[in-house]
Order: sequence, then structure tokens, then C-alpha cells
Amino acid sequence: MTLGLILAIIGAALAAILPGIGSAYGVQIGGQAAAGVTSEKPELFGKLLVLQALPGTQGIYGFLIAVLVMVRTGMLTGAPAALTTQQGWAFFAACMPIAIVGLLSAISQGKAAVAAIHMTAKQPDSSAKGITMTALVETYAILALLVSVLFVFIGIPV
Amino acid sequence: MIVPMKKATLIVFREDRDAVTKALQRCGEMMPIPPENYAKAGEAGETLRAEQALKALRPYQAKKGFLAPRQEATASQLQAPNEGAGELMAQIEGTAARMEEAAARKGELKNRMEELRPWLPMDIPAEALGGTRLTGVYSGYIDPQKGDLLWKTAESQGGAAVLLDTGPQGTAALVYTYRPQEEALLQELSAMGFSQAAPPGTGLPKDVMARYEAEFAQAEKDEEKAREEMSRLAQKREELELYFDQSEAANERAETPYGETVHTVYLEGWVRADRTERLKKALDKAADCYYLDFADPAEGENPPTVTKNNRFVTPFETITDMFSRPQNGELDPNPVMAPWYWIIFGLMMGDAGYGLMMLIGLWAFKKLKKPRGDMAKLVNVLFFSSFTTIFWGIVFGSYFGATWHPLLFAPLDNPMGMLIFCMIIGVLHIFSGMAMKMAAQIKAGHFLDAVFDEVSWMMLIAGLGLLFLPQTRTVGAVLAILGAAIVLLTAGRAKKGVFGKIIGGFGGLYGITSYLSDILSYSRILALSLASGVVGMVMNLLAGMVQGSVIGFVLSLLIYAVGHVFNLAMGLLSAYVHDSRLQYIEFFNKFYEGGGYAFRPLQINPRFVDVVSGGENQGGN
Repeated sequence: MTLGLILAIIGAALAAILPGIGSAYGVQIGGQAAAGVTSEKPELFGKLLVLQALPGTQGIYGFLIAVLVMVRTGMLTGAPAALTTQQGWAFFAACMPIAIVGLLSAISQGKAAVAAIHMTAKQPDSSAKGITMTALVETYAILALLVSVLFVFIGIPV
Repeated sequence: MIVPMKKATLIVFREDRDAVTKALQRCGEMMPIPPENYAKAGEAGETLRAEQALKALRPYQAKKGFLAPRQEATASQLQAPNEGAGELMAQIEGTAARMEEAAARKGELKNRMEELRPWLPMDIPAEALGGTRLTGVYSGYIDPQKGDLLWKTAESQGGAAVLLDTGPQGTAALVYTYRPQEEALLQELSAMGFSQAAPPGTGLPKDVMARYEAEFAQAEKDEEKAREEMSRLAQKREELELYFDQSEAANERAETPYGETVHTVYLEGWVRADRTERLKKALDKAADCYYLDFADPAEGENPPTVTKNNRFVTPFETITDMFSRPQNGELDPNPVMAPWYWIIFGLMMGDAGYGLMMLIGLWAFKKLKKPRGDMAKLVNVLFFSSFTTIFWGIVFGSYFGATWHPLLFAPLDNPMGMLIFCMIIGVLHIFSGMAMKMAAQIKAGHFLDAVFDEVSWMMLIAGLGLLFLPQTRTVGAVLAILGAAIVLLTAGRAKKGVFGKIIGGFGGLYGITSYLSDILSYSRILALSLASGVVGMVMNLLAGMVQGSVIGFVLSLLIYAVGHVFNLAMGLLSAYVHDSRLQYIEFFNKFYEGGGYAFRPLQINPRFVDVVSGGENQGGN
């Protein structure tokens, strides 16, 4: 196993770890707020669940990049490519956009989701507006995801 | 299409008021306008009572299946008075009170029995405590660890002590004293922590306990009986639910904001212009003599919004309504928005297998559960979108995350191609929004505004896009420069002074950034389709890894099922949210104002019951 491959693995691992942590946190604070509202208004459960789930996507994006790195480096087929150190660093760097932005945007989105949940508690009809406000945060995670995808897929020759 | 509204003015005799209100509620065509400083007259007491009774019954009713059919009733049934329900509610309330009382009694007895338990070995009746002329008998509690000490102290001071059982308050003890010496002993004992207390009840503790036990059993029996009674009453739940809806409908009627004179009542309301006849017909049946007049909304009056579209577009109205309803006089965005929502949803899901799952699942859900209202619309949006999901899945060759003969290309193999494809979809989507704006401007007679504000940008954006292809590079350049020139020259036309116009022109051109970010925003289509594709692929991979033995094969089936259902659910959520967002922010932003409010006619709006007949226009607008 080359140092390059190890660097690529570290990058993929971080892409899975950091957004996962962020999403877990975002979904957690959303869940706390939603549970509080549900205790008073159980009929809102469906709407609140959507809001709570919104910060969960970053974790999936990170996971996606991790898998793409594994696919590109042949780890899944059992014959990993002998990456050079430069290629390894390149994969590592390619993982960073989603790793970092995913972590932070999931936390921010969780906070927006909490505010939207409180709004839905007071005005159940505005839940779609709350969803839109919360989803705006995700734009930046999506942009980071795209950058990572393009790097991993076509940016790095293997 | 936005249905024009008429303002109806209705005057009837006082004695016809009830019959007319019932007719109005049944036809469900008129949304009353409350007069200024109108105070609600209705009394929700009965509804509240029925709700409380239903709540009391809830723990005892048989579990209703998710797909269980709902109770059905006709509109006249829902408007009829219901005498039987009062008795039923009284029964429920009585039984609930009895049960509560029995439970309280049980709790009280339990406490007392707990208190009595340490005194059980005492073989003298409680009245004998206090003693005789020469001996004193004292009862009380002592710290269990000091029991021996108590006993020894009592013995040494010419008395005696008997330790009984230990309870939560300590060990119960009896102390016998010789009167002349008892003062000193008692002082010493209380210093030791002996607190005097009498056992509860009178007579032998044993007998008291037996009495308590009998009472407890009785309370338990009472509670059980009340519970059985509740279960019996719970079978009549449907009757109560009907009553709830009846009293709700009656409240609605009572709250109808009539103005009054000595002999007549007066009501104003909004009616759809195409359904005025229905209102007239309903009134003909209800009253012999009435005055009804329809007028167009006056300047400054803001009628509610009703949109009428074909069967495909109607469900998508719910997406627009969640953002903001169109205002009267505005163009209805739904006919343009609906196909775009439909297409983009399919692109975001982009998997034929998942589309098939949606199609079958939602079809079954619609058939079995028969959802109503907004829920039905949402289900239909998803149901329609399952077709585009299958379509794009076949185009991009994605079946449950596996790639198989794509007609165009597979996004996983050619993400760049897919990205460009998404941007093109985005540009077309935005252009159609701008076309809506142009239509509104031209309708308002501002033809030049349409050219300056919309056509110029379309030329600029299309031109920039064409620059990427070598064959069309010159055409693109010309278009882009022409478009930019128009923006530069006209964006500041509303500003005063030459300087203001120049600044305005450059400011307008700066708007390119917002168009750019709008178009880039469509890259989320690629991200979402990749996400669902890759997660599906991983599930297949995981399942493939465990295959090899019989157990492994079964396990792999489990992974396939759970994994793909999870991925489908997450994909649906993401597609719903992000497709809505593209409509709200990128598309509506170009032309749509909204700000209308819903048409809520006076009608029967049952919570538990389905109206089967007699309501011509129930549940929809």
C-alpha cells in the first residue's frame, strides 16, 4: 500500500466523518425542538419530521464522496491502485470541500431548522416557507459536493 | 387560470335565516365577508364537550387500522340536530368521573395501608393506648438502628418496650412506662429520636387492615366496572364523532356574520363568477322570498383566490399555495410551474426502479386510503412525478442504482455532461419564468419594458451559452453583446439625470451575477441524482458482498429491501424540498408576486366523517 493510497483513504474517511458529525448534530437539535412541539401539537409530526430531516443530507453527501473515492481508487474491487503521493494528496484535497462545508453547513442548517420548527409550531400553514428557508442553507453544501464530485471524478488522473 | 369572483349581497327575512344558512352551508359556494368590527357570536361549548368525551374514550377504543374506511354521512345528516349524543356524553362523563374517583380512592387507601403495615403485630386495640392510672402506653416511631437502645433504656428506667415492624417512617414501637417515673424516660426517649405517633384507624390494626383491604378491593372493582363501561361506550364512538362534526357545522352556521335589521338579515360574501347559478338554486329551495345581487369587486376590494386548472395541473397548485397564493388579477403560475415541477422532480429522482416503486406504492395508497384535500394533492403530485422518474431513469439508464443501457448517458460516467444538461434545463426554466413576466407586461401594455427587461437578458444568457459551442460562437457573441448593450442602455431609464441613467445601466448589468447564481443553482439536480444513484449502488454492493450462502442470500434480500426503501424515502424528501425551492426562488422570483388568500366558503368541514351526498361542492374549491 502506497502513501498516496493512505492519503486518499484519510480524505475519504474525513469526508464520511465530518459531515456525518455535522448532520448528526443538526438533526439532533432539530429533533429536540420538534419533540417539544410534538408534545403540545402531535398533529404537526409529519411537517416537523421533514424539517428535522433537512440537515441530514450533508452526511449523505459526505458518504457519497467517500464511496466515489473508493470507486475511483479501486478499493471496492479489492485491487487498489498504487497511487503516487501527489495523487494521494490530490484525492485528500478533493475531499475537503464537502468534509468542511458539510460539517459546518449541517450545523447551521440545524439551527435554521430549529427556528423553522418554532415557526411551524405557531403557524402550521407556514411550514413550506420554513422548509424553503432551511433548504437555502443547503445550497452551499451542494456546491461543495459538486466541487468534490468533479475533482474526484474527472479532476484527478489515476 | 384564476377564476373571477363576484361579490354577492343577500337579504332574507329573519325567520328564514336558519334555513338559508343551512342551504348556503350545504352548497358551499359563498365565502361570507364579516362586516367591520364584527364579533364572533358562536359558542363552541358543545364541540368542546364532544372533543373531551372523545378524548376520554380514546384509550378504550379498538385500534383502527391505517386503511380503515371512514364513517360516511349525508349533508342533511350533518346538519340535523342530534339529541341522543347529549345522553351519551353524559354517560361518558359520568363513567370517567367514577373511574377517576375510584382511582383516587385506591391511591388514598394504598397510602394508609402503607402507614398501617408496621403496626400489624400490635395486639391491643388503638383505643387502649394511653394506658391506665399507673402505667402509660405510648406508641411511636424510632430509627430502626436505635431499636435495641430504646428497648434497653426503657427496661432500665422501670418500663418496657415492644418493637413492631419497620415501615418507611421507621420502626413502630410501643413503650410501657410506670407513671411516676415516666417523665424522665420519655424525655430521654425523645432525645433518642423516638417520635410519638398513633397507628391509623381504630381497633386492632389487623382488623383495620382487613377493612382497608376490603375497601381497596371494592375500589378496584368499581374501577374495573367503569373501565368496562368505557369500552362499551367506546363502541359508540362513531356516533360521538358524527355529533362532533354536527356541532362544528352548527357553530359555523351560528358564526355566519349576518347584519341585522328588525325584520331582515343581511350577508355579503364572495362567490365564484361561474357558479352564481348554483347559489341561486340553493336559495330558491330554502326561502320563498330573498334578495340576491352580484357585483364585480370594487376598487380596493381584495377577493379570495380560486384557481381552476385541468386535472394534471390541479394537484401542483398545492406547491404554489404553500409559497403564496396568486392574487386576483395576476397570471396563474400553475399551468407553467406544474410541468416544470414534474420534469425536475423526475430528474432529481432519476431512477426507473424507484419510479416504479413510487408508482405502485402511491397507486395502492390512493386506492386504499383515499386521501382528501391537500394530502390528496400532494399524493397526486408524487404519483404524477413517478412517471417522469421512470422516464428519466430509462434515459439515464439507472435501475435501482445499477446502470443498464442508458439512452443518453449515465450521470455517474459523465458528470460533466449531466451538469451541462442540468444548466440547460435551468436556463429554459428561468426563461419560461421570464416569458410569464413578459406576458404580464404586454398584457398591461408595457411592450418596451418586456423587451428591455426580459428579452435583453434572454439574448445575453443564450448568447453566453452559445459561446461554448465552436459552431455557434459568432452568433453567441453577437447575441450576448446585443443583449448586454440593451441592458446597459435601458436599465437606468427610470432614473433621473444622465449620471443616474449611466449608474442604473451598469447596476442593471451587475444583475448578471444573480442570473448566474440562479442557473448554477440547478446543479443541485445533478447532486441529488448522483446522491440517490450512488447510495443505491452502495446498497447493491453491500448486498452483493454478503451473497454466497443461503443465509447470505436471505440477508442480501433484506439489504436490498431496506436499503432501497431508505434511499427512496430520502430521495423523495430531497426532491420534494429542492424541486420546490427551485420553483420558489429561481422561477417565481422572475415574475410571481402572490399574496392572495384562500377561498373558504361556508361549508360542512367534517373532521371525522366523509360527506357522501347532498353537498354539491364539498371539500374543494
